[in-house]
Amino acid sequence: MMKVSINVLYILLLLLGACLDAPKVTNAPTAKRVVPIQPLLSQKTNEKQKLSEYGFFEAPLSDLIPNPRVYSYEVNTPLFSDYASKKRFLYLPDATQMEFSPTASTLHFEKGSVLIKNFYYPTSDGQERIIETRLLIKEKEGWKPLNYIWNEEQSDASLNYIGADIEVEWIKNETHIQKVNYSVPNLNQCKNCHISDSDITPIGLSIAQLNRKNPLLSVDKNQLAFFQEAKLIKNLPKKNNWSKLPVWNNPLTGSVEERAKAYLDANCAYCHSPKGSAKNSGLHLNYTEINTRSRGIYKPPVAAGKGSGDLVYDIVPGDPEHSILLYRMKSKDPSIQMPELGRSLVHEEGIALISEYIQNLQKK
Amino acid sequence: MKKFLYLVVGVLILIFVLWLFPEPMPEYIPERDYIDMEAEILESFILAKDSSVIQLPEGHFLFSQALSLDDKKHLTIRGMGMDKTILSFKGQVKGAEGIKVTQCKNLIIEDLAIEDAAGDNLKISDSDSIVLRRVRSAWTGKVSTKNGAYALYPVLCSNLLIEECEAIGASDAGIYVGQSKNVIIRNNKAYYNVAGIESENSSNIEIYGNEAYENTTGLLIFNLPQLTVYGENIRAYDNTIYNNNIPNFGVKGSIVSAVPKGTGVVIMATKNVTFSKNTIRDHKTVNLSVVSYELFAADDDPENTTLDQEAENRGIRSVDSDYTQDVTYNVYPKDILIHENAFENKFSFPTLSNDYGILMFMKNKMTIPDIVYDGILPKNIPLQSPEYKICLDNNGEINFVMMDAANDFENFSNDQTPFDCKMIL
Repeated sequence: MMKVSINVLYILLLLLGACLDAPKVTNAPTAKRVVPIQPLLSQKTNEKQKLSEYGFFEAPLSDLIPNPRVYSYEVNTPLFSDYASKKRFLYLPDATQMEFSPTASTLHFEKGSVLIKNFYYPTSDGQERIIETRLLIKEKEGWKPLNYIWNEEQSDASLNYIGADIEVEWIKNETHIQKVNYSVPNLNQCKNCHISDSDITPIGLSIAQLNRKNPLLSVDKNQLAFFQEAKLIKNLPKKNNWSKLPVWNNPLTGSVEERAKAYLDANCAYCHSPKGSAKNSGLHLNYTEINTRSRGIYKPPVAAGKGSGDLVYDIVPGDPEHSILLYRMKSKDPSIQMPELGRSLVHEEGIALISEYIQNLQKK
Repeated sequence: MKKFLYLVVGVLILIFVLWLFPEPMPEYIPERDYIDMEAEILESFILAKDSSVIQLPEGHFLFSQALSLDDKKHLTIRGMGMDKTILSFKGQVKGAEGIKVTQCKNLIIEDLAIEDAAGDNLKISDSDSIVLRRVRSAWTGKVSTKNGAYALYPVLCSNLLIEECEAIGASDAGIYVGQSKNVIIRNNKAYYNVAGIESENSSNIEIYGNEAYENTTGLLIFNLPQLTVYGENIRAYDNTIYNNNIPNFGVKGSIVSAVPKGTGVVIMATKNVTFSKNTIRDHKTVNLSVVSYELFAADDDPENTTLDQEAENRGIRSVDSDYTQDVTYNVYPKDILIHENAFENKFSFPTLSNDYGILMFMKNKMTIPDIVYDGILPKNIPLQSPEYKICLDNNGEINFVMMDAANDFENFSNDQTPFDCKMIL
């Protein structure tokens, strides 16, 4: 009898739990799914519907083993994307080369080149789950972004323009099971980060970012040297003049300040630089910026609104807690957080680095 | 003494009557049978290129997120009619607006309805050469403070035509043009909003052939301080503005929440306004008022002024007590010409639900004025100085009030002669 009542209690508790766990009910009415009979848009698009149609990788596609003319590349300090790992490739059409120009921040690519970035998470079964593959395709008129979302079976990825929210369970540091509501951007959102002046531009394809080793290309050679020897890049300056961005989490590559600046360069400067979309803020976090006020030190916000959190300066030397920059990195409120897009989690390791950097800055 | 007694009894009876018959809030409840074509419609907005036409079929389409257009030229978004193509954002979880347009040129949106966005139904900013034609923008159900602020909301735009549209249920303004220039607002209808039609800080505006009724207030022509630009050159004619008496359901602290219900038209702190050949009737506070921003700022109840951040983020304007800091802002109405309008009122007594009604009850022989001028002017500037003149002509038999609000109504007057155009021009 006792056992029965305990069972009943247990079931009741479970039910209660289920009720408390139930998703928040919105007041949205229900709607039946209907597809249009006529096309809604007057012009047609001719993009490939599946990632496999490009032939970038050998079968099985999800192993991401590149075919000829597709090359792996790595960057020194990547953008934080909700702890997703990234495998990056570039495709160069036959007989074409990347080209360095001292006046451009990014390498130049010829028509038909494609930058391929795969976003994936390690899963609890020791496998990897690829969520999306983002392409930047160089066309006559400029770069065109396209996104492909992988299916559950990981056999292929389908073209997606409108973005998606995907629940992902993954393993952090091989021990901790984590959940993320991963947000695949829609086509308009791609531009938010990839715009410089008014053109869509790749991010991370600079000498400073590529100046490193990449075991997927060569075990002992520098990545740029590999490209140079394989005649995949031209007009490179002399090797001694290659700039190098520190690796944000590798103390052997730079001081805290240098690594913090590298982190801010990769995570903020695509907008917060003299040609970026946030140039009006006056906050420039590109690695090469030397004006301390432009770098945020004792700089009051311009158009932050409630994003300032009632704090006075972007960076207060020695006082990370009163620095707007860190406040916005720590926030998960979409109207406060920085970066605005591509992050729903807080990057704890990044915050630790920036915190240390601000703490170490000399007070006025 | 006897007069006073009548007054007290009158007031008591009125309060009793008001208490017996609380005013019902209007409601707009169209029949809806929602379908989900969100992915395809979203895709068409994202893929639209310059010169594209997005043709939306018949149906009541439900969306969970906002639709947006940025940096497009010569685009047309066309439905099958405002009763047939309905875009509903009821219960949306992403984005505040229904449709958000930024930095477009030569855009036409026509023959569709937009409903129930969390924020503004249709917001267009920093755009040029825009046509909104036969668009109905509405919040369904009983009107509520929780409705979005603006139904049709072009801001920082130029060369704009809004015609044959309808705006219903906005908790701020139905048809709202802000900080824009070269605008025609014609043959539209606005009802069940706090403000039916509003032109704010905008220049070279023609407002004609519109109907504004059953709002809290019908038409506002405003200049507000601390904004990027100030408006002037506004002509409003051939409009019918009547029965705007619904209780004010604006967000507390917003500028429109300070407009008393039963106010037909307000012309505030703007210069060079011609208001002619309109029909304004049946308002319980006043048919038309010409006032300075000081009147609003004075009315500013400290408790009501703190507009919460969320509302401010939605672009709702609050009363700004720091307006004197803005040296470029002109606080007073200047050069206002009011002629050949038809004023009528089926109501006899002013409402006692607000200070202005009570003031008229007490000071204006318990009658509702057709035109009120607050008479507030800068220090040492006499009434009707050339730069600040208000002129009335040929408006029939009207009940006119000059409040002299700056001097505790000391020179409260019904005398129209100082404002007669023939005397001035």
